[in-house]
This record gives sequence, C-alpha cells and structure tokens, in this order.
Amino acid sequence: MVIAFVFLASMTLICSLGVVLSRSIIHSALFMSGAFLGIAGFYIMLNAPALAAFQVLIYVGAVTVVILFGIMFTQKPQAKHYRTIISRQLWPGFFVALGVGAFLAYIVTIQDWAGNEPGNGLRSVEAFGENLLGVNGAPPIFGLLFEVASVLLLVAVIAAIVVSRRRVGDGVDRGVEE
Amino acid sequence: MSLDILNQEPFRFLLSFGAILFLVLNLAAVFTMAERKVSAYIHLRFGPNRVGPRGLLQPAADVFKLFSKENLAPSRADIWVFLAAPIAMFLPAALVWLVVPFAPNAVIADLNVAIVFFIAMTSIGALGLIMAGYGSRSNFSLLGALRGAAQMISYEVPLILSLLGVIMLSGSLSLVDVVNAQAGGFWHWYFLPQLPMFVVFYIAGLAEARRVPFDLPEGESEIVGGFMVEYSGMTWGLIQAAEFASMGLISAITVTLFFGGWQPPFEFLDLGNFNWVWFGFKTALLVFTFQWVRWSVPRLRMDQLMDLGWKILVPACLIWLFVTAGAMLLFPSVF
Repeated sequence: MVIAFVFLASMTLICSLGVVLSRSIIHSALFMSGAFLGIAGFYIMLNAPALAAFQVLIYVGAVTVVILFGIMFTQKPQAKHYRTIISRQLWPGFFVALGVGAFLAYIVTIQDWAGNEPGNGLRSVEAFGENLLGVNGAPPIFGLLFEVASVLLLVAVIAAIVVSRRRVGDGVDRGVEE
Repeated sequence: MSLDILNQEPFRFLLSFGAILFLVLNLAAVFTMAERKVSAYIHLRFGPNRVGPRGLLQPAADVFKLFSKENLAPSRADIWVFLAAPIAMFLPAALVWLVVPFAPNAVIADLNVAIVFFIAMTSIGALGLIMAGYGSRSNFSLLGALRGAAQMISYEVPLILSLLGVIMLSGSLSLVDVVNAQAGGFWHWYFLPQLPMFVVFYIAGLAEARRVPFDLPEGESEIVGGFMVEYSGMTWGLIQAAEFASMGLISAITVTLFFGGWQPPFEFLDLGNFNWVWFGFKTALLVFTFQWVRWSVPRLRMDQLMDLGWKILVPACLIWLFVTAGAMLLFPSVF
C-alpha cells in the first residue's frame, strides 16, 4: 500500500512539474495525462473505482486528446528558452501560489477527516452522490439542474458550429478574391 | 494451502498481469497468422505455406525476425515520445482483458464498473496514436495521427451510446452481471432486443480498432502507413500487436455484451467450467467477420466517415435508446 502510494505520488508530482517546466507544449500535454493517471490511481486506492474510470475517460481520454488534437494544428509548439515560459509575472505568480498554498494548508489542518483508512471514514461522498441524483429522499432538483447545464453546453457547441460555419462560395476565409 | 500466497495482493496482481500479457501477445501472433491465411483464401491464394505444416509456424518466424531487426528512429524524432507511443497503445488494449469474463468464475477482476473501465481504456488508445504521429516528426505520421484522433474522438460517441441499451436491460455495469443476465439459450442474448445497438457497436468497434473500412490513420495507399510509417523492428511489432489485441478485445467485448459471453446457445450444451470453449468460439467467429469485412469493403473517405458517425450511428443509437426505455416503461413484466 505504501509502495503504491509513493509510486503514485511521485508519478503525479513529477508529471505535474513536467507540465509547467517542459518547453514543448506537446510534452506538457502528455505529462498532464500522466498526472491525471496518477490521480486516477489515488481514486482506486480510496476504493472509488468508478471515479477513477471516469477520471481516465474524461481527462485522459477526452480532454488531453482534444488538447493535443488542437496543438497539432498549430505551427511551432516549442519555446526556445526557459525564460519564455517562466519569466513573465514571476513575482505576482509567486504570491498567488503562496496565498493558495496557505489557504489549502489552513483548510487541511482545521478539517476533521475522520480517519485515513479507505471505507471507514465519513461516507460523505455517498451522501453527496445521493443528493445529486435525488435518490433516498433527496430532492431531485440537482440532477435536473445538472442535465440543464449539460444541455446548455450542447447548445453552446452547436452555436459555435453555426457561427463558424462557412457557406459555399464564401471564399473570405482563405483570402481568396471572388 | 501453500498456493494461498499467490492469492495475496502483490502476487495476485503480478500473476494476473503476466497471464494477460502472455495471452495478448500470443493472441496477436495467432491473429496475424489468421489474418494472412483468411486474406489468402479470400484471394484464392495459399498464404504463408513454408514454415511448418501448412505454414502454421509462420508467427514464430515473424516474432524471431522482428526481434532481430534494428530499431530505427528518425534523427529529428522526439525520441521519448516516439518510444513511449507503442507502449501507450499496447497497454490499454491489454489491460481491458483483466475484466473480461472467460468462463463462470473465471474473471481476473470483477469490477462493478467494468464497462466504464473498458470505455476509459479504449479512449486512451487515441493518445498513443497521437504520440506516435507527433513523435515521428514526419508529415505522413502527423497526417495519420490527425485523421486517427478525429476518427477515434468521433466514434467514441456511438460506441458509448450503443452500450447504454445493454446497461439498461441488465441494470449493471459489471460484465459478469451482464453475462449472467443472458443465461438460458440464445433467445435471451441481447443481440436480439438490441439489434440496432449491436450493429452500431460493431461498426464503431471496427472504427476504434482502426480496421479496414476505417483505416484512414494507416491509409497504406494514401499516406503509406500513416502514424506508424517511421517505426521498425519490435516497436513496429508492438504497434501491430496492439492493433490485433484491440481487434480481439472488441470481439470479446461484443460477445460478452451481445452474445451471452460464455453462455452456451442451448442449455443442454452447458459445459460447466469448460464454457470458455463457447466464449472462444464466438470470439473467433467475430474476429473472422472482422477479417471478412476487411477484404470486402473499400476504405471510407474522411467526410463519409464523419457523416456515417455523426449523422447515422449517433441518431440510430438515440432512437433505439428511446425505444428501449419506452418498452421498459410500457411492458415492465417482460424485462
């Protein structure tokens, strides 16, 4: 268990560092999929295989693939120097990171985590899921809101297609004179 | 018993993982052989007939040849991505075999979310393809990877949607439960009430395995091998193994979901623990249909591919989903 944790933690951390420190944006995206896989491993260790499977399906299989698909259409996805990726707004970034870190540390220390063994702590995730789906006496409104949000996303996607669609004989997009 | 230690956690995982790798690599070799023989007989040729009786030892010779070849990489290739890509393609195809039930009680990991696990692992396959295409730094590879990514993103939608009917009928995401729900003769198998879904799953599965009507990423006659044009030796061999493993995998999952898995077609043909014979027989039959399609159907064009996926398969899935849901609401006694 400890070996698996150390392996997953180092995999997630190294891949996360790779995302921010890599000069090639393709490498960043690939490192990001590695970090997501490490987090999926944590979910498996926490006895939540469904969450792990959805993490892999959505973040590795969909988000990263779409990002890579988009990057491959760009011309030069490679920065020549490290200065290009780290020098901008170094100090504001540092202070924001410090603030977020302090806030997270505060939350972690004041929260009662009710034990660290999987399956023995508070099953708040279970209650959360039941509330979300509206089973076992919970109001079914949250599931409806969730579905409405996803339909909204679908409408936005279709609208984007309609807006960016070229009509036959338009000819404007490639700068072709009619 | 002294063998109990093999059922403890690290050993159980290592043992099952080794067994899966053994199965998948041998399956790939056998499927290569079957592919060449089937294509030969469809072409009225003999196929490989020099190594062993009727050429049956050809896979062994192939493996020996691949291992002894040099692994070349283009000098400007992104070498880590280039070398990691075959692994990223092979491992997901191999890992899904962990949740496939081979016979009663013969499943390595009876996950309660096995179907989601299958979808998740299938979706990683596109990542390996993009890695191969980008890492080679070759225009043909990049074109192949772009085609492959577009194809696999598009056909994942009908692939997932076509599973929903089976999930609704069986009420479970576990493959073991799905197989158990189809017990009692072939008229209980889900391919009858879910025939449109089965057709959609079969077509989308062909596309996910990049088999011939959908082999645009490879496109031998257009982009000379596509994303794998720069690979040689065992890295190429691993990509081929991944392709054949995913073909076998799609067949096995189709059998499990729509043809009753290891369930015999008639109850009196029940073989007990030897029901894996039925599973293997049905899977082999489906693999044969994959090869049959390969030598009968021409390759689709890119726009035809997208039209088929988005305008035919997805609406067909949604319509049959509503039909299934309506039937389950109106006639709850049947289900």
